Amino acid sequence: MKQSKKLFWTFLMPSLVSFLLVAVIPMFIGIFYSFTDWNGMNNQINFVGFQNYIKILTNDPGFINAFVFTLKYAVVEVILVNVCALALALFITSKYTPFSGFFKGAFFLPNLIGGILLGFIWQFIFTKGFSSIAATFNLPFFDKWLSTTQTGFLGLIIVSSWQSIGYMMLIYIAGLTSISEEVLEAASIDGAVGFKKLKYITLPLLMPTVTVGLFMNIAGAFKVFDQNLSLTSGGPYNSTQMISLNIYNTAYTYNDLGAAQAKAIIFLIVVGCIAFIELYLTKRNEVEI
Amino acid sequence: MKKIISLILCCLLVGSLFVGCGSKEPKSGSGKSTEIVLYQFKLEIAKQLDAAAQKYMDKNPNVKVRVESNGEGYTTTLKAKMQSGQEPTIFNVQGPSDVEDWMNKLEDMSNEPWVKNAANGTLTDVTKDGKVYGLPAAIEGYGFVYNKLIFKDAGIDVAQIKDFASLEKAVKELDKKIKSGALKEKYPDLEAVFEYPAKETWLTGQHTSNIALSPELKSSTDAYNAKSIEFKYADQLKKIIDLQSSYTAAGSSRDKLAAVDNTASVENGIAIGRVAMVQQGSWIYPSVNSIDPKVAENLGMIPIPLEGVVEDSIPVGVPSYWVVNKDATAEQKAAAKDFLNWLYQSDEGKKIIVDEFNFIPPFTNYGDLKAKDALSQAVQEYSSAGKTIPWVFNGYPNGWSMDVMGTQIQKYLSGKATWDQVIIEVKKQWSELRK
Repeated sequence: MKQSKKLFWTFLMPSLVSFLLVAVIPMFIGIFYSFTDWNGMNNQINFVGFQNYIKILTNDPGFINAFVFTLKYAVVEVILVNVCALALALFITSKYTPFSGFFKGAFFLPNLIGGILLGFIWQFIFTKGFSSIAATFNLPFFDKWLSTTQTGFLGLIIVSSWQSIGYMMLIYIAGLTSISEEVLEAASIDGAVGFKKLKYITLPLLMPTVTVGLFMNIAGAFKVFDQNLSLTSGGPYNSTQMISLNIYNTAYTYNDLGAAQAKAIIFLIVVGCIAFIELYLTKRNEVEI
Repeated sequence: MKKIISLILCCLLVGSLFVGCGSKEPKSGSGKSTEIVLYQFKLEIAKQLDAAAQKYMDKNPNVKVRVESNGEGYTTTLKAKMQSGQEPTIFNVQGPSDVEDWMNKLEDMSNEPWVKNAANGTLTDVTKDGKVYGLPAAIEGYGFVYNKLIFKDAGIDVAQIKDFASLEKAVKELDKKIKSGALKEKYPDLEAVFEYPAKETWLTGQHTSNIALSPELKSSTDAYNAKSIEFKYADQLKKIIDLQSSYTAAGSSRDKLAAVDNTASVENGIAIGRVAMVQQGSWIYPSVNSIDPKVAENLGMIPIPLEGVVEDSIPVGVPSYWVVNKDATAEQKAAAKDFLNWLYQSDEGKKIIVDEFNFIPPFTNYGDLKAKDALSQAVQEYSSAGKTIPWVFNGYPNGWSMDVMGTQIQKYLSGKATWDQVIIEVKKQWSELRK
């Protein structure tokens, strides 16, 4: 037993140390800086107590806007991605679909392209591609995309959904295939078919997967940065600026690292709460056979 | 066998952890060679700067000069480099607020041989307490860069454009000619008079605003010390923005301009003959020249007139300064200073500055060596005639020019805010940021 405990810690050490160094310690350093007025460059670090937090919560409409915008985005994106991914997963794992391997690969491909590159390619499609469609076919809907808040919002949703649906689909496929055939057969024999089967048998058994999926998705949706930067840069006039971009700008454009850290801490608390609430709710609904 | 393989794999994995830990800090001394890193943001001279560094290294085999260029996000990556220990030896600052921010990293250059040759006024922004901290990289000017051939073929005499009223008249006339198809044959790609890339908040928030704020604030340092602004010439600024934004390919949907970027104005705009006039400066010459040399040699520049205030001068200033990192080693600092001095004061270096960088040298001892390209010549003409106004935007509060003024202009163009609301907001933000 002693030997296995040593082995346990030997293997755990690298990950644990990296996690501490890269995530935990910087977080505490960040909390420290959020109580100062450091500008990121010089050596003047003065304590200002809770001033940063108060200023952010009361006198920073940009941050509040970014928050509300990110919230709207997260809700729409999470629902859209999970519903589509589940539908695709059901479609691919159903007995009636041929070439399921091909479909899995095809749908997963978008996820392999990095965030910034994706943003730039889609930006080209939205601005130049869409406007030529609008001009050729006379469809004003496709005109001037990304120059208004609404089209910027839609653009962000489209790009990140396109990227995430494949990934979530694979997770759901894994979950679906782990439900034993016998349970499904037994259900059919007892008379549960089609939609009823889905609602009362498949979904509850799928809950652990849904927990994982939703958790990753919600946290990810709040943290979006690269697509935001490359697709809209927060424009027009900062109306599509999401929280991460807002924090980044506070730190590097306004040289206010103290306030940026404070925003980051608030962000951490809010997303942490949302994630934990979601975890609690879905864990409650999990069913085991 | 399996155990050995898995052990080797584990070791490889752990070893790969340390791959990313290599230090890229330039080393110096040890008698062999000194390595300096130069980190700058002017992408238009990146290749030429590499070539210049190579020439210097050929003459000075003991010194290695590594040039890194980054356009977008320069200030962010510079801060990141400083904090991560990969500090460059030479980098760029832009004005009094940069100097203030980076003060504890700036090497005193007051005793350098080029200081006495610097052109009048080019050292004020980098002089603090009597000490000089930076070498001015170039002199640049901007205004309305226009395609002489298009105007000539449209029958518009540019020499008659002396103020805002005559400019507006010429613009309207050119617009009529374009819309009527009279220029279709000779200029098939010509879509509109102007292009206004409102997505580039530096172009709108720094350069366009400078036209109205320079007569009010008078210098970068005054701007840096100003706790609030009056924005006396807000109405005239509105006219300038309206003129540029109303005669673009976007027509009356000015909100489209918030998604138009700099390439649409230069490489995809004036260089291919898609538009006839853009608010740009002497720096666009190399880009236009690489696309269409014929257009490039027929470019001219006229002032952006502030109606009733200053209608015949162009804003001229120093876009960036070369500074040396005070925390580099003594050998690195000496090598850096020597490189800069060679680049700007030696005969070989002077030719590089003027012929290859297409810079207007901010020094008085360049003799007959003048920038030969059309735009630099135009700027030099205005300079010699004394028809210039200073750049004051390098003294704006951090973030105000792009994140406040630039975004507010986007709001105005999209109709989400009236001009009066814009002015109230930008004035308020200025005072807030100065607290």
